[in-house]
Amino acid sequence: MPIFKIAFFSLAVLFFVQCKKEKLITNYEVVETPSFGDNLNKDKDKTNIEFHGILTTNLFQKPSSINELTRTDRVIQSCGDKTLINEVIISNYMNTSFVKLPTRKFMLDSTEKFVTDTYIRFFIRRPTEAEKTWFINFINSSKANPNFRPELVYSSFSASDEYMFY
Amino acid sequence: MKRREFVKKAATLTAGSLVMPYLLPSGRLFAKTNAPLAEHVVYVIFGGGLRQQDSILQRYLADSQDFAAEGNLLHNMLEGTPPTSKIAYGIGEGGTQPIPKILSKTIQKQGTIFSEMRAISGGHYGGLNSLITGSGVAGQGLKVRPINPTVFEYARRFGGFKATDTWFIGNSIGNSLPLLNSSNHPDFGLPYGANFFAPNITFGSDGYATLQNAKIYHPQEELEPMYKMKNFLDNSFNIKKGDMPGIRNTDDERTKIKEFISNTFVRQAAGQLPMPPVGGGDGATIGYAAEVLRVFKPKLLVVNMSGIDGCHSNFTGYIQAMHRADHALGFLWNYIETQIPEMSGKTIMCFVPECGRNKDHNPIMDANDWYGYDHGDANSLRVFGGMVGPNVPANLMVGNEANPIGKVTDFNLTIAEILGYKSEVQGAGLIDSQAKSLFERI
Repeated sequence: MPIFKIAFFSLAVLFFVQCKKEKLITNYEVVETPSFGDNLNKDKDKTNIEFHGILTTNLFQKPSSINELTRTDRVIQSCGDKTLINEVIISNYMNTSFVKLPTRKFMLDSTEKFVTDTYIRFFIRRPTEAEKTWFINFINSSKANPNFRPELVYSSFSASDEYMFY
Repeated sequence: MKRREFVKKAATLTAGSLVMPYLLPSGRLFAKTNAPLAEHVVYVIFGGGLRQQDSILQRYLADSQDFAAEGNLLHNMLEGTPPTSKIAYGIGEGGTQPIPKILSKTIQKQGTIFSEMRAISGGHYGGLNSLITGSGVAGQGLKVRPINPTVFEYARRFGGFKATDTWFIGNSIGNSLPLLNSSNHPDFGLPYGANFFAPNITFGSDGYATLQNAKIYHPQEELEPMYKMKNFLDNSFNIKKGDMPGIRNTDDERTKIKEFISNTFVRQAAGQLPMPPVGGGDGATIGYAAEVLRVFKPKLLVVNMSGIDGCHSNFTGYIQAMHRADHALGFLWNYIETQIPEMSGKTIMCFVPECGRNKDHNPIMDANDWYGYDHGDANSLRVFGGMVGPNVPANLMVGNEANPIGKVTDFNLTIAEILGYKSEVQGAGLIDSQAKSLFERI
């Protein structure tokens, strides 16, 4: 009986495509995303006032007054090499008693943490493996120099090109 | 060597020799195209808008205030007897005491004056742009770098000079002046730009509060590791040329400029800076320019003055500023010739204002009831300029009211000729097509 064959075949097909009871999902998976970015998307340069507002907050843990920032802006405009004049201003900041820096001991004893913390503090990102390795090696190779201290590392980060962008 | 290999290598070498000079920000591979006429150029923008009638034509009040008093206010620059009445251009109460002359022999006697030249623009920024770029482009916008390369970029790219060989000393940070040390031109730009200071800010009260307490780091033990770390960070970031916030000096140059900043505050406090006897305003700018010359002995230094622009509302202040600017110019030339042995006899000084002033006065009267003058009409395109130094004909006056000779855009090409790369600047095709070296105009 062909009709029974068709019915049997249809039932067989329905058996394989039938709906199934949904499983109860008790926990959701989350796509892992790094909370610190990389340097590829930093393409907007900070204004002089933004730059020094962020920098002084970073170094002194308190913001500068708008008068100080405006004065600093004028001085930066008065010099053709912005990186150079920023370096001079940074060394001026470093010469005050209010600047808050890690100790040399911390830098030498916990170099990897110091490097990672410094990248996060200034660049809002973690260092790549290559960057971390370079800095750890550089700090270790500079141990013999008694004048090599966190101030120099902080000054380099503050005066770097990446720190001028966001 | 196989023929194919030979042809390939020859082609590579030829292409390399053509391309390499344009890749290098400093240092040149070819001999200069003309023999240099001097080793250094100091280019003074005698600016702010200098009215021809009151300056080189020596008509004093006769052609401005309808009062019969004529005479020369620029006694370091020009020959001519001073006014004998209504003396108000000097110093002291009422400006009645002319400033004593500095030069025993006027610039006119020592060099060549182009007594009737033509400016490109009757405005400041357009005028400054034409002086700095040698271009006839009048549509330059404010708050943007020049469209065409500046005299500094030509000097660095074609002359092979480093950043500290080229300086622009501005009298303020207004009027987009800090943007004139480099253009936005894609083939030139900031990699070839000049160092810039507006010393009244950098070394004024703002600069003192911001820079004076800067640490002096040890060059080897502190600066060297700092530069190494910074260079590593910069290489990782790889900033694009168009994003550069300013010009770049090498590490050695940066160290030297930092020392200069620090020493300038010390010498300022000790009263050791070379200032004109009558200072203030433009005089101070010229004094700091002299200090830059003393320390760096640059190949090219451009300095801007603008005190005379007070003429819009104060004619008395204008003639006083004009007299002081002449004093400052005389001081600068005297300082180069007598106090900087490395530059004495090897420097050509050029000078010109960026524009003139109107023929007719505006309605604003000053304390002497003298009318002010704006700028922008045809008369404000009338200017005079000149040069002095080795290979410049002495005691020569070129052109007159009836026979104008020279344009302000000539100075860029003149500087190129003095420093030995004129044909390269001409070949770049970015200057005023009618511009000539002033040596060709003589």
